[in-house]
Amino acid sequence: MSGAKGGGRVGIIGIGQSNFRSRRDDASYPDLVREAVVPAMLDAKLDFDAIDAVVYSLSPDSIVGIGNAERLGVDAVGGRNKRFLRINTGGATGISSVTAAYYHIASGVCDVVLTAGADKVGECGDSQTVLNKIWDPTYERALPLGTINMLAMSAVRYMQRYGMTEEDMAYVTVKNRRQASLNPRAHLRRVVTIDEVLESRIISWPLRLMNCCPQSSGGAAMVLASERFIRDNNRDAVWITGVACRAETYWMGDRMGTNPTAEHAEAYALGRSFEQSYRMAGITDPANQVHIAELYAPFSNTEFHAIDAARLVAKSGESVKRLRDGEFELGGRLPVNPSGGTLCTNAIAVTAMARVAETALQVWGRAGAHQVDGARVGIASGNGGDHQIFGTMVIEA
Amino acid sequence: MELLGRQEVWNITYDHALGETASYFFTQIRDNGKIFGRRCAKTNKVLVPPRAFSDETLLPTTEWVEVGPGGRIEAFTFVYEQFNNLPEPPYAFGYVLLDGADTALGGYFKGVDLTNPREAAEKLAIGTRVVTKFAEQRKGDVLDFWFEAG
Amino acid sequence: MAYRVRPAVVGCAIRPAITARNRSLEEIIYDISQAALADAGLTIEDIDGIVVGCNDQFDGRAISVMMASGPTGGVDRDILSTPSSSEHAFILGSLRIASGQFRTQLVVAWSPTEVSSMSEAQRLGADPYFHRALPLDELSAHALQASALNHVWPNAWVFAETVAVKNRRHAAVAWPDPPARPAAGPERWPLTERLTTVPVTGAVAMVLAGEPFVAERDFKHPAWLRGMGWATEAAFLGDRDLTAARALVEAARQAYTEAGITDPTTAFDVVEITDATPYAELIAYDALGLAPRATIAARMAEGWFARGGHLPVNLSGGVITFNPVFCTGMIRIAEIANQVRGRAGLHQLPGAQLGLAHAGSGFAMQYQSAIVLGAAQGDVS
Repeated sequence: MSGAKGGGRVGIIGIGQSNFRSRRDDASYPDLVREAVVPAMLDAKLDFDAIDAVVYSLSPDSIVGIGNAERLGVDAVGGRNKRFLRINTGGATGISSVTAAYYHIASGVCDVVLTAGADKVGECGDSQTVLNKIWDPTYERALPLGTINMLAMSAVRYMQRYGMTEEDMAYVTVKNRRQASLNPRAHLRRVVTIDEVLESRIISWPLRLMNCCPQSSGGAAMVLASERFIRDNNRDAVWITGVACRAETYWMGDRMGTNPTAEHAEAYALGRSFEQSYRMAGITDPANQVHIAELYAPFSNTEFHAIDAARLVAKSGESVKRLRDGEFELGGRLPVNPSGGTLCTNAIAVTAMARVAETALQVWGRAGAHQVDGARVGIASGNGGDHQIFGTMVIEA
Repeated sequence: MELLGRQEVWNITYDHALGETASYFFTQIRDNGKIFGRRCAKTNKVLVPPRAFSDETLLPTTEWVEVGPGGRIEAFTFVYEQFNNLPEPPYAFGYVLLDGADTALGGYFKGVDLTNPREAAEKLAIGTRVVTKFAEQRKGDVLDFWFEAG
Repeated sequence: MAYRVRPAVVGCAIRPAITARNRSLEEIIYDISQAALADAGLTIEDIDGIVVGCNDQFDGRAISVMMASGPTGGVDRDILSTPSSSEHAFILGSLRIASGQFRTQLVVAWSPTEVSSMSEAQRLGADPYFHRALPLDELSAHALQASALNHVWPNAWVFAETVAVKNRRHAAVAWPDPPARPAAGPERWPLTERLTTVPVTGAVAMVLAGEPFVAERDFKHPAWLRGMGWATEAAFLGDRDLTAARALVEAARQAYTEAGITDPTTAFDVVEITDATPYAELIAYDALGLAPRATIAARMAEGWFARGGHLPVNLSGGVITFNPVFCTGMIRIAEIANQVRGRAGLHQLPGAQLGLAHAGSGFAMQYQSAIVLGAAQGDVS
């Protein structure tokens, strides 16, 4: 295959992220994209001429209020007259975009690919209004569905199956807020107590305000390159060794009833996606081979079934006790969401990219105050749609 | 410096074709106060609401099956927060497996006191029997019916 | 070659004009996906991954891929979506095959007409900072491009009329009994009603497979991907030379480099161009290197691009015949795939061996792609 680009493995050579906040009235939407792209390019020590292609990360247009807003972002990513396309898989968009960038290189077509995006969730007023429109207009949109209500129902089923309590959910918030307090890029950084979580107002029972992610504004960007480029140009890199995506049924009611393939309490397709990415990376015992996990969990309860699906515990539901025992906190056996995770920062279009970026920084040893000592193998995930489309990655030093 | 903002509204109307399957479902609700599902011949599962094809087998569904009006609760939540363009809280809604169905149908729960969510959660616990109630005036959508315990 | 594994198109289904309202959008997507699988002689069990091209504003759904996952076969499969354009779904599907990590991909795109005003849906794509207050929809942007071309090339309007007539004549062969004859479109000067077409509902799907799978299943007539290029213009029309299509020049350069094409004026048997307007087709002749602008007058006079000419363009009738706005790009690719597979139907060019598909979309063709497909696999290095 003479002349082919993209030889060998695919590595990450540059990362940029905003300091995520509620509102960014000082910056337009493309300004926020640029804010992440510039540090990613500086980190990769590359000029835009070196970029073969751009994968643009943007979930529903209606959140930023601009139709096909990726078109407006072309200059922010230096995309003029370059290969450029956009990905949208809802909340999974960020990891799906890194995945698409990965295939640009793995195909042999490109050597260096930039993926970037941003969100200004705070500007849409009420994301649940927009997110009601993800349900089909035929049967379900007339119901007061939103992502919070949807996952409150997952919590109710998880409680019934495994005995998870409101207090168990509060532990997740307390852990992630404590970790976010160490991460200057996180949005909600105030440390909270169990009692504060349990006294915060109910949004959709059993979810209280502090069980819910914020509406964040900010951008994220990553530069990926072929192993050959990395070697020839003497770059430092971490490697994407496993990558996968799986979907499950759109119909929430099909995840209940008689023997559903995908149970709504769990994250069936997330588990299937992890199976595939572990197989690719040669990981057979994730609970012992993985050192750090950034698992997309926008509500406290969903961190439990994400840990279950990633098989960081022997069987579903075991995550609850082990989390309360401190196994998944910074300093514990296998830290989950040391950045504070989606629960503390959710700029929807790039949230799942932040999971990949944070995992990469960890195995690189560059995570800063929330660094997991000795992390060499990390995993990241993203969830999109009505808990329907899942992306997973294994990243290694 | 002075930072400006601008309010923009998206206001677009769509006229979605419902297709034959959903059209039958909604006319049965509107005209007869009955709920129908569609059977997948391969898995024998009755899909409610009815789908023209099963997303698991990718085969067309083959048979109309009347389901309900009784059923059991599969999931619920109580909403205490006001969201833009959604109903005034508090309200209860969720999913019910109607008798004869294999998948759950979404709808409101009515007749539940939501003053204390934990007490309400016990009244609507998963597995609780409910019955489907229909509005007197029906227009052919999922708000024509709701579920009540007992 | 550029790819680890060479992709091929092994199944196509094109429905450029769906008029009946007896199927919901989900059901239309189910129908087109099943039709492409049937054309390939495969079932969903053979499909490793899916890429859909869909647009939330046209579909009236946020995160449209959610609704599409079931009908395309996405349950328990790997599915991604490219809302930037339909052609990008083909491109990403091809990259996935080329990586060698997938045997097959199903790529699907559609464009409904359920929105009360296509123009209003498109105007949401104008940024709220500088342009939203202007009456800027896609047709207006095409009109601005047309008037820019008329300025630098004073006879362009004459050739635009000729292109429209040519494509409508092609349609008479391709669709003697068409599903519908859409009315002429609205006017935006200099785009007269003869140069535009009312949008219709349409859908398209293709099955892609890598070389090992093509060999294993012994597909007799795959359309091999020989070269693929894609690029974007800047967002603001004011930043662009609307007459030049630089992104298309770049896309063609990428595709021709991969395909080893040195003289595009003679390389192809058949071409499909996204004639969002006939002016777009004129710009593409030049940008794709099919005919330098100075030669186009002479070429058109001798019927070079017409049926029976040296290089027939848009034997399908093109977008001016059927304009399912969002999926016109992927339809052009599927048309060329069918031509080199010998399955183009009434408008088959006998013996077509190498074809070029141009896909363009967005305001004044912001996104540009060039796809080269061949009956032969090409170099195997």
